[in-house]
Amino acid sequence: MSDLADGLTLRGWVVDPASGREGAAEIAVSGGVLERVSWLEGTAADGIGPDGTLILPGLVDLHAHFREPGNEDAETVATGLAAAAHGGFTTVCLMPNTTPAIDEPGVVARVRAAAAVSGSPVRVLVHGAVTVGRKGETLAPMGELADAGVVGFSDDGAPVQAAALLHNALAYAGALGLPVIDHPEDPSLTGGAEASEGYVATVLGLRGWPVAAEAGAVARAIAVLADVVRDVPAARLHLTHVSAAASLAHVRAAKAAGLPVTCDVTPHHLGLTDEWIAGSRRWAWEAIDGDGSARDPWADGSLVAAPFDTSLRVNPPLRSAEDAAACLAALVGGTADAIGTDHAPHTEVDKHVEFGWAANGISGIETALAIVLAAVDAGGLSLARAVEALTTGPARVLGPSAGVVPGLRVGEPADLVVVERAATWTVTAEALRSKGKNSPLLGRELRGVVRLTLAGGRVAYAAD
Amino acid sequence: MTTEADRPEAASSGPSFPVPAGVPVVDAPPETQAVAWRHRHLLDVDGMTRPELELVMHTTDAMREVLARPIPKVPALRGTNVTILFYEASTRTRVSFEVAAKNLSCDVVNIAAASSSVSKGESLVDTVRTIEALGADMLVMRHGVSGAPYLAAEVFGGAVLNGGDGWHAHPSQALLDLYTLRSRLPGGSLEGRKVVILGDALHSRVARSNIWTLTAMGADLWICGPSTLLRGYEAWAAHGAAGRRFTVTSDAGAALRDADVVMALRIQKERMASGLLPSLREYAARYGLTQERLRAASPDVVVMHPGPMNEGVEIAADVAVDPRSVITQQVTNGVAVRMALLYLLAGARHGGGNA
Repeated sequence: MSDLADGLTLRGWVVDPASGREGAAEIAVSGGVLERVSWLEGTAADGIGPDGTLILPGLVDLHAHFREPGNEDAETVATGLAAAAHGGFTTVCLMPNTTPAIDEPGVVARVRAAAAVSGSPVRVLVHGAVTVGRKGETLAPMGELADAGVVGFSDDGAPVQAAALLHNALAYAGALGLPVIDHPEDPSLTGGAEASEGYVATVLGLRGWPVAAEAGAVARAIAVLADVVRDVPAARLHLTHVSAAASLAHVRAAKAAGLPVTCDVTPHHLGLTDEWIAGSRRWAWEAIDGDGSARDPWADGSLVAAPFDTSLRVNPPLRSAEDAAACLAALVGGTADAIGTDHAPHTEVDKHVEFGWAANGISGIETALAIVLAAVDAGGLSLARAVEALTTGPARVLGPSAGVVPGLRVGEPADLVVVERAATWTVTAEALRSKGKNSPLLGRELRGVVRLTLAGGRVAYAAD
Repeated sequence: MTTEADRPEAASSGPSFPVPAGVPVVDAPPETQAVAWRHRHLLDVDGMTRPELELVMHTTDAMREVLARPIPKVPALRGTNVTILFYEASTRTRVSFEVAAKNLSCDVVNIAAASSSVSKGESLVDTVRTIEALGADMLVMRHGVSGAPYLAAEVFGGAVLNGGDGWHAHPSQALLDLYTLRSRLPGGSLEGRKVVILGDALHSRVARSNIWTLTAMGADLWICGPSTLLRGYEAWAAHGAAGRRFTVTSDAGAALRDADVVMALRIQKERMASGLLPSLREYAARYGLTQERLRAASPDVVVMHPGPMNEGVEIAADVAVDPRSVITQQVTNGVAVRMALLYLLAGARHGGGNA
């Protein structure tokens, strides 16, 4: 069991979206409880700024795959939680595409038991499957799953293909007060697809994965939601890992129309682009011209790594720099409510193969914060909005019934993360706590080092 | 007894460029030659500069000279073990590499994927490690998945030659096409010449590799076919930076008008099943390379096809054997180009080449 956080006094730049405050502060933790937040003024605040030590509420991930039960070679709940803590996350929502799927209360209990045995204080929440076995045929026992404490329903990894079934799922989950978390993809457009359709995929001879496969599915899900809310006003649709400008336009319009729809974007769709598959290693915001069009990595000499790195194979695929910019703009403007890591660890057996045969997914929960801070460093995103999208944003998506209340609240168990913003670390297989070493950032030096993660008043991670 | 004079084709059709310094004397082992070749593997042609392409061309000239000899064989790569690993069916490319390697006195092992432990589910990485452990110095591979040779190159200690990967690249084909064109075009220059690649560009590694080499040599390149089989190419052409301009069109008439070169690509029957084409008949009628359609091209048009051909579909039988067709020369030149590539890569292996 992890240690109780006790006798700690932390000074740094505090960002607390729950109270809307940001500034120099001193925080005291005693007996696991947040005892005091003293905002510092004048000379007391000297030398404390947003480029130094950051103190943030514990991060919340709406979307992670810990592979247990069924694929413990890739990740276990215990290793996933260690990775989460190393990444600054104190609450993680696990996707149900395990083997067996989390489609009945027994599997929920099994995951919870694994979390308890791990001794990690990081809070585990579970999404239940929408359909039995995630097969898209019949509804899972959603009521029983809700009683067992799931916080949402998703067949993630695959869409709910039949619109009629999606309709029913939204209605049924809505009555239970829970969102349906849709993985928007039209599989008739993505059979065999390897990389986002466009310039890079064409040059590399990779089968194109059209934006229409996502945008069409988003539009359809929103249309279905519009029907459902007439009968079930409490119905909620959350679209996860939205990756394209065209999809985000549909979400923006739906929100403007007052529909109960939310969405998240992933760190890798914010920071990485399809040109990484060709061997580029520059951030998305460096891959775009002043006029908003993607640069040509073959022309400007930015291809520095070997092409076809399978750690870049992911669903949805890495998109163009234009789409990445749209994801960032959506985050800034509020069309995107949250950042979800879509942490998807895989074994070497499943990844060290031909690109088109490699499993989809990026091991990303430990690098998420650093990518988002890189976007902040580049000036594309405010620190406050970034932290919001990693804390209160996802909490709002889950809704009050999930009981996720990020914030630095005196008298409550301390749940926070301390980050040295200017310090750097190199992403290596050894540095990653996750069993999944499938990170495209391996070998890269990142700014932003998590020094301490406190979850529920306990030390979830402390740097040596 | 065969003499030089009996082989006028080989002796006279070779290009007559001034041979610059630095082109190897290919009778001798490559490590004894000062050659400006820096690539450890040949995986793609996207990074090849014009001087590098010229070096391959001139080395190929030297290999043509070897092929014109009574005994077309040199000891240059004696003791070099070449393994040819093909995961896709192929006749001409595989045999061409094998002949090329034997002409250089390499020891050659052929692995057809279906008859090896690959069919038992062995991973590519394990297969390549095994091949290396069996003593291979060079690995020629063909694979149906784009990028597979990069994975092989990551684990193989010697040189990897890409014999075609998925839709991505077919470097030796593009280089033999380039060589054939230089032999055929007046002055050996592609500068400003209108070259049309006609057919299924979507699935074609030949088209992709030729885009890099032909545009590097200054050709006015056109990619033409049914719009369903050009998917993505407009996005490529629109970027077109660093002199990689080419034109994409579904209008065969516009493409063929005054064309100096037409390269027809193979149409595979499964394209109909996936809804990309209504019928082969309709394809042949609208895009098939017929004598009638060729009338719009330059009178001296050069007709090419990477093979294997579907005669009567993408190319009419009488066009394939027309005097303006260089399809058989492409095959002959393929051996010389592959000899050149094996030779240059062997030199880089000894000389510590990098990329």
